[in-house]
Amino acid sequence: MKKAALFMACALAVTALAGCSSSSSTAETTAAAGGATEAAGGSEGGEVNMIMTWWGNQVRNERTQQALDLYAEQNPGVHIEGQFSEWSDYWNKLATSAAGQAMPDLLQMDYMYVDQYVKSGLLLDLTPYIEDGTLDTSNISENTMASGTVDGGVYAICAGINSPALLYNKTLTDSLGIEIKDNMTMDEFFALSKQIYEQSGVKTNVAYGIGESWSAYFVRGLGFSCFTEDGTGMGGSAEEWVPFFEVYTKGLEEGWLIDPGVFAEISVGSVEQEPLVYGSTPETQSWCAFYNSNQLGAMQNAAPEGMEIGITTWPSYDPVKSNYLKSSQFFSVGATTAYPEEAVKVLDFLTNSSDANNILLGERGVPANSVIAEEITPQLSEQDQEVTRFINEVVTPNCSPIDPPQPDGSNEVYDLLNRTVEQVCYGQLDAQTAANTFYEGAVEIMSAK
Amino acid sequence: MNKKKNLTFKQFLDQEHIAGYIFSLPFTIGFLMFMIVPMGISLYYSFCDYNILTPAVFSGADNYVKMFTDDPTFWQTIGVTFYFALVSVPLRLIFALIVALILLKTTKATGFYRAAYYLPSIIGGSVAVAVLWRRMWATDGVINHLLGAIGIETSFAWLGNTKTAIWMLIILAVWQFGSSMLVFLSSLKQIPASLYEAATVDGANKWQQFWKVTLPLLTPTIFFNLVMQMINGFLAFTQCYIITQGRPMNSTLFYTVYMYQQSFEFYNTGYGAALAWVMLAIISLITLVLFATKKFWVYDGGF
Repeated sequence: MKKAALFMACALAVTALAGCSSSSSTAETTAAAGGATEAAGGSEGGEVNMIMTWWGNQVRNERTQQALDLYAEQNPGVHIEGQFSEWSDYWNKLATSAAGQAMPDLLQMDYMYVDQYVKSGLLLDLTPYIEDGTLDTSNISENTMASGTVDGGVYAICAGINSPALLYNKTLTDSLGIEIKDNMTMDEFFALSKQIYEQSGVKTNVAYGIGESWSAYFVRGLGFSCFTEDGTGMGGSAEEWVPFFEVYTKGLEEGWLIDPGVFAEISVGSVEQEPLVYGSTPETQSWCAFYNSNQLGAMQNAAPEGMEIGITTWPSYDPVKSNYLKSSQFFSVGATTAYPEEAVKVLDFLTNSSDANNILLGERGVPANSVIAEEITPQLSEQDQEVTRFINEVVTPNCSPIDPPQPDGSNEVYDLLNRTVEQVCYGQLDAQTAANTFYEGAVEIMSAK
Repeated sequence: MNKKKNLTFKQFLDQEHIAGYIFSLPFTIGFLMFMIVPMGISLYYSFCDYNILTPAVFSGADNYVKMFTDDPTFWQTIGVTFYFALVSVPLRLIFALIVALILLKTTKATGFYRAAYYLPSIIGGSVAVAVLWRRMWATDGVINHLLGAIGIETSFAWLGNTKTAIWMLIILAVWQFGSSMLVFLSSLKQIPASLYEAATVDGANKWQQFWKVTLPLLTPTIFFNLVMQMINGFLAFTQCYIITQGRPMNSTLFYTVYMYQQSFEFYNTGYGAALAWVMLAIISLITLVLFATKKFWVYDGGF
């Protein structure tokens, strides 16, 4: 009796644990099954069935699906099924499909992951298709093409251009009689945060929990990049990282830094819950948020009635060195697709067709094709026109080329960064110790890769 | 032997043990496919350098060595998980027992109350309740407003403080005492009334009856609940994943969530698999220890 009970308890523990650890394998099986049906569908004479995946919001889902339907209409026999998910689910799903050798035919890619996916041989090299004219890239700038290029091959085509953008409560700053100027320096930012805090009690959120782009942006202004050129190590030195953490210690000292406890209650990185638009009291509100230019519309939608959201550049010790244009996201073709030619044609359609872009309307950022970008501008909403102006007139004349794609291990480094910032915000580390802890940890992570 | 071979197909199926196998087939296949096979794969991956995207490379015991010698977060999550399980499980059992004792007396409303108290166990582990919980304990949430109403003005960030955040998860866990309560209720009912009568004749008061009669006879049930809940406690995931994500400063980072992060956020899937097997070892060990202590405190005789 005793033995039976013991056995049962152990068996339960085992199965419960297996339930946890087996989820990936189950997903793999389904993904593989999906791939199999897809291949089977393709063998029927002339019919082409493709899958395209992306992450994003409802507007994007509707517009992209409409554009794909239009393509199917213009090209009888081609069917494209759109599958979309949230950002974090998207990468879990994509990784498991990759493991099951069932990459989607067309997919949305991010700068953070391009390198990793290319090195794993999961994306199709588009160079031959560009050379034979299937994919027209003549209206896309060299810089933009470069961001989707890894080791000489083009693996990703920009789906929209954006840049880091500080979104701020314009109603508040106007009411305090403060004018926010573009390309502000760190010192101006400190003074501004302090002034706003003293006059209104509203605090400042310096990219808490989402320090990925912000840290890279900040250190560019100090003259080095977060990772070394070849992506095998950390840039700068522990000493050089100190100013990054000093932003937070200074904010704590002067009182304008938002209490980190606020973030325990919200989904960090979600536009709708950003302290800029979400907080109910001055202590839980921030006058600004570190986001990207293509999120202005979403932030304005999330803002309470009567709050106007303004857009400017992130602060930096050297704005021109820090600023960059980036592809908000890319389109890529899966290396295992059964129809590379067809998939590339769809890519060309999404990039260069006026019909497609009249539906998409730059929701992913300013279109990479400059002719198309100009063409659709009059149809854009007021905010999207403002974003286009911001990209063209504020950032473009004051920017430097973007850093190379983030190397393998960067996810873990950024997690460490965010956790270190957290400790600084809770007053447990001073800037010097934080910089040492972070730098040593990051070097170790990178050397293990 | 010969006779068996000559069975018709129908006769073959009609044999009792064959029917049994066929009826259990759906479960057996599921168990093998979705439990045993993935477990085998996971055991293999735990000895590999595997990042999902590229094929696994065998790396010996590297993952295990790293875990014990070079991963402070591992030790922190062990600490958090033990704290959570060792505090929330006893509290939950005490709570369940008290409510079971209250609900033992049958009145017209008992059915309603039993259902009402069981409800949190069904919904308590869900995402919706986790989200609700986060809002309740927010600085401008219900709890602080209630405190304000009774004169304690506060904007304390319950979830934002390293000292209190874990307690929000513990309270949520304790609130889900329903299933333990039901088990207690049923075994309370099985305690013969004659024992209480005898105790009353001997002059024992209610309090003495509880300590000398009820509790000893409940120890097998307490033991069962303790083992089951302890296992559940160590495997808790949703609360942490939805409510705190380990914040602040990993003070609420459960072992299972860390395992998930390593596997699917940092793509150290081999390491994640190794973490899973270590957890299995830990839980087995704790269960064994609990069983070893059984003879000292669990009443094993008849009534």
